[in-house]
Amino acid sequence: MRAETIEKLSSLGFLGPLAFFIALFIVLPVTGTFVDSLFRDVVFLDRAFIGLENYRALFSHPGFWNAMRFTLLFVIVSVPLEILLGLAIALTLNETIPLRGMIRAVVLIPWAIPAAVSARVFELIYNYSYGAANYLVRVLGISREPVNWLGTDLGAFAAVVATDAWKTTPFVAIILMAGLASIPEILYAQARVDRAGFIRRFRSITIPLLWPVLIVAALFRTIHALRIFDVIYVLTGGGPGGATESVSLFAYRYFTTGDYGFGAAASVVLFIMALSLSVFYVRLGGFGKRRRE
Amino acid sequence: MPHTGTARPIPRIMLSVLCFPVLLVLAAGCDSGNGHRIVFSVGGTPSALLVWEELIANFEAQSDWRVTILRQPADTGQQLQALLVALDSGQDDPDVFIMDVAWVGLFAAAGWLRPLGTIDTEPFFEQVVEQVDKYNGKLLALPVYMDAGLLYYRKDLLKKYGYAGPPRRYEELTAMAVAVQKGERRDNPGFYGFVWQGAQYEGLVVNFLEFAGRGGGMLHQRNGRDVLDMTVPENRRGLTWMRDLIREHGISPPSTYTAMREEEVRLWFQQGNALFERNWPYAYALHDAPGSPVRGNVGVAMLPGWETDEPGLPTLGGWHIGISAQSDAPDGAMAFLRYVVSRGPQKRLALRLGWNPGREDLYDDPELLEKYPHLPVLETALEHARSRPLLPFYIQLSEIAQQTLNAALAGNIAPGPALRDMQSQMAALLARYGRETLLPEGTKTAGERGQ
Repeated sequence: MRAETIEKLSSLGFLGPLAFFIALFIVLPVTGTFVDSLFRDVVFLDRAFIGLENYRALFSHPGFWNAMRFTLLFVIVSVPLEILLGLAIALTLNETIPLRGMIRAVVLIPWAIPAAVSARVFELIYNYSYGAANYLVRVLGISREPVNWLGTDLGAFAAVVATDAWKTTPFVAIILMAGLASIPEILYAQARVDRAGFIRRFRSITIPLLWPVLIVAALFRTIHALRIFDVIYVLTGGGPGGATESVSLFAYRYFTTGDYGFGAAASVVLFIMALSLSVFYVRLGGFGKRRRE
Repeated sequence: MPHTGTARPIPRIMLSVLCFPVLLVLAAGCDSGNGHRIVFSVGGTPSALLVWEELIANFEAQSDWRVTILRQPADTGQQLQALLVALDSGQDDPDVFIMDVAWVGLFAAAGWLRPLGTIDTEPFFEQVVEQVDKYNGKLLALPVYMDAGLLYYRKDLLKKYGYAGPPRRYEELTAMAVAVQKGERRDNPGFYGFVWQGAQYEGLVVNFLEFAGRGGGMLHQRNGRDVLDMTVPENRRGLTWMRDLIREHGISPPSTYTAMREEEVRLWFQQGNALFERNWPYAYALHDAPGSPVRGNVGVAMLPGWETDEPGLPTLGGWHIGISAQSDAPDGAMAFLRYVVSRGPQKRLALRLGWNPGREDLYDDPELLEKYPHLPVLETALEHARSRPLLPFYIQLSEIAQQTLNAALAGNIAPGPALRDMQSQMAALLARYGRETLLPEGTKTAGERGQ
């Protein structure tokens, strides 16, 4: 009895610092941002409570919907692409192939490079005058005229997706590799005895046992893709003509020009979207139920 | 027994963990100001900051005040952010700072600039001081570094194709660029007639304001009041021309609207791949430096206009110096400001950094003229230069303009609809800031239209 009480008390002690830091670095800023979104908080105007006026202005702002459309499209295209590529890499590197250790390390390199740097590298690849892509176009005789890769909506979108996929696919791969390593080899051996083919083994063993890990990877990628900023800021600056403007970039423009309340409203919308998607993924992964098994 | 043994140290660890952030905050708040110290905020490259340090050493030798440099990033946007945060949160530092000409309206409206009182503004460009540095009749800032858009041209190529001099009108520029490009393409397939800043950033708006010319721009006088109207015919003519340079005549590179900023434009011209270039004055010294492929062949002129014998309308750029209204050492800040805008430091900034002086009385200085022969052209340009609107929300207006102008250059939207779209987004912004009085009569905001 007494030992249990002490344990409970000391567990609170262990949780205390964590709770403190969560409050300081998460609850406080999020609440602050939410409160600020209800104010007219513009550096050159008097601060005033305006209720949901910032949200009304936000939802009637064509630029916001443009940014929202791009952001959602980006999530829908880039996340599945990264998951599929990551899964393919993880499955390959899970087999005993020559130089596996080295290849595993090499695959991780893009993830280790800061996003701003990789975006700059890709910008040099797409560069109109001296980029590697146009060099190939010329050398391979595809066209005499250089291609303005970032000059069309589709081209800029594809460039952003490619840059992001190059950088973050290794992240998905490494998480899935960890997941694959935790599946007992004996299950596959038994399935082979039952004459289950590769596809059957993949469908009935790999996918169900990898599922929670897959969901975690998708969750991380979705939230990250939803608030995409750095790659776009460096690669396209939101152009051409706002075609690759993300919601984060949209909010950033107002934060950096002294219109904090409006920027806060855009951030709150993004936060709510990320939170609901997280809840959705947690449900999908069935993390709540696992305790009872 | 074992319980107490392991449980005891925990609270002590916890205590220190809990205290850590508190200590951090305390430590950060500890740089209390002392009597004779002022903080000067300036950004730039390491070499620029070195020159500032020399100037400060000079100032300190003749003054009781000590100056601490608050180093800012070289990037203009990040400098603005740093100043916004410091000033908006009511800090008493920095006391004196350098700001982009495009921010003065914001800083003045926010009440962050301390009136400079009675300073003799005679040695400065009168029309610049009137346009930029005075707000509600009070002098709030002074120019330190002046910029205005210029037209660079290849003297050798104009001669080769039989032209007497640079174009005076935009139509002439188009015709010359088309002809020369056609000829030069035979040897140099990457040659273009005219390079300018078209990427989605502030420089695009600057170029647009210049190409729109007189009668174009953002603010217009109507019935004795300022009206914000982007849909005037001059704006449409300017934007249509810009789009056609890329899409119709093909005399500006396709990458104009994706990649062309100041440096990309300068390098393009400097590598000998363009006839005309729109750029700031800084490009001159670099074009004429040893090792530059176009050295000795570069001419510089006023931007063309749209009407005969009407000079162009360069956009005013540059940096101004002001004193924080929250400064705890306004006297020291004032002494330093007076020093920075005086002849000696201005000349040194010009010689060492190529900063075009804020003082007009240095534009006939023999030493400067020898090093910068383009100064007389620049002086003319500065006498005609138009500043961007001195509105506190100019930066937000510019963000809207950047996006829609860029979309028009990309061919996603025609110039007319692009400008109408721009106008309605700007109207919504003005409505949010309670400044509908700036709108033309009968305007409906984007919100009311239910867009």
